[in-house]
Amino acid sequence: MTMSELLTILDYQFFRHALAAALLTSVLAAMVGTYIVSRKIVFIGGGITHASFGGIGLAYYMGLNPIMGAAVFGIMTALGGGGNIREDSAIAILWSLGMALGIIFVFMTPGYAPNLMSFLFGSILSVGKTDLYTLAGFSLLTLFIFTVFFRPILYTAFDPEFAKIKGIPVGTYRYMMSVIMALAIVLSIRTVGIILVLSIFTIPQITAMLFTRNFALIIPLAALWGITGSVAGLFAAYYMNIPSGASIIFFLTIQLMVVKLIVTLQRQVQRRSG
Amino acid sequence: MKKPLLILDNIRTGYNSDPVLRDVSLEVYPLDFIGVIGPNGGGKTTLIKAILGLLPLFSGHIHFPSGRPKTGYLPQASQIDRSFPITVKEVISSGLETSDKFLPFLSSAKKEKVRKMMDETGLGSLSSRPIGELSGGQLQKTFLCRALIDEPDLLILDEPNTHVDKHFEQELHEWLKELNKNMTILLVSHDIGTISPMVKTIACVNRTLHYHPSNQLSEEVLKVYNCPVDLIAHGPVPHRVLKSHDHE
Repeated sequence: MTMSELLTILDYQFFRHALAAALLTSVLAAMVGTYIVSRKIVFIGGGITHASFGGIGLAYYMGLNPIMGAAVFGIMTALGGGGNIREDSAIAILWSLGMALGIIFVFMTPGYAPNLMSFLFGSILSVGKTDLYTLAGFSLLTLFIFTVFFRPILYTAFDPEFAKIKGIPVGTYRYMMSVIMALAIVLSIRTVGIILVLSIFTIPQITAMLFTRNFALIIPLAALWGITGSVAGLFAAYYMNIPSGASIIFFLTIQLMVVKLIVTLQRQVQRRSG
Repeated sequence: MKKPLLILDNIRTGYNSDPVLRDVSLEVYPLDFIGVIGPNGGGKTTLIKAILGLLPLFSGHIHFPSGRPKTGYLPQASQIDRSFPITVKEVISSGLETSDKFLPFLSSAKKEKVRKMMDETGLGSLSSRPIGELSGGQLQKTFLCRALIDEPDLLILDEPNTHVDKHFEQELHEWLKELNKNMTILLVSHDIGTISPMVKTIACVNRTLHYHPSNQLSEEVLKVYNCPVDLIAHGPVPHRVLKSHDHE
């Protein structure tokens, strides 16, 4: 297949939309995922993702917008937890409760639930203009917040007690970041689905961290790795006729493994010659 | 008589609703250098977190007769996540005053201040190094710089001697002596042997607080132990005091 043949699918609007969604999701997940990976709170991300399925089910049952339902459940999970229950235990409860509620509501809804699979595994090839505008708007907002509040976000993530002593309103920043985290995850569900969404918030970051341990540099590098992996995955999904979400995650992982191999070999060569 | 910098008035504090410290009273005066000692789990870190305003008081009060002093804080090494992707320069910058925290970039005056401090303390070449790649001494130095960059009136150090070599310990000793000329210092350690030559007075914390207005806990007891360094601590459990080695 020649390059021009490969690119003929760009004539289709649905594929252009899918590409745009992949780009936007990669950039959004690069920012939010760097925060998640650095703070080692991937399990909270998992909790948000799965709890949001309860919101999808409820909204579906009531005939509302499923993404709105997911956002409400996701934010509640991100802000909840704690209390007298250990945080990881609380997350585990919300995680499974969300999935249970989702299944119950979908079961109670009369008729077949055709959308269910698309929420579990994503449906990037059916992303519409409204989805894209929402994703673009929220990505821009997140970029703005990460630029203007970069230092307080970094300081409260790294050492919240010290930040508090320095007069930074740590609680406010933590809440703000929890809401951003929840919304970013929920909006990305459209692209890669509930079951696969966490990987786009973690794999590009882990790939980027093979090159740098500087928070500010991990973000653009993770965005780059996210874009290359998801675009490759998207083309492969179309031409090999496989599910797009799974294909994207597969390519992100293969990319991580290849890059890690190259970096490791390079360091060994350097060590021998140095 | 000088006005105290801070007064702990019969405080009771701890985590959740579980009091770790009871009936703690202490007056800290400007240019004091107090060694806070006591067994692990006795409440040393709890005490300084209460002073820093990080823990609620169940009863009692903390007064600052001349207003809350500008405070520099070095947390225990175990509280630091060494794998967090942050550089030496960023850690030190986080100690600067934060009135301009909404600006994405530091002013050039502040950048210069950070650079100068790194050069003076020998961290200059490590400026862009992530903290995960530092030695124990370099890490403690970085966090000490973060505590000092805003020129505090009160410096609170929690176990600064963890994971460091003898050379850094000596350097720290000299550094703190110099800083104490215009700064009040609270130095927490579970090991009085290393800190008693530096400090002026000692506060022993074990669920409550006993203040010793000297850095010699008890001459007689030291004689009994025939101990070349003043290595002693009191508590409910009998202690074993080891003679220090003659060679360095």
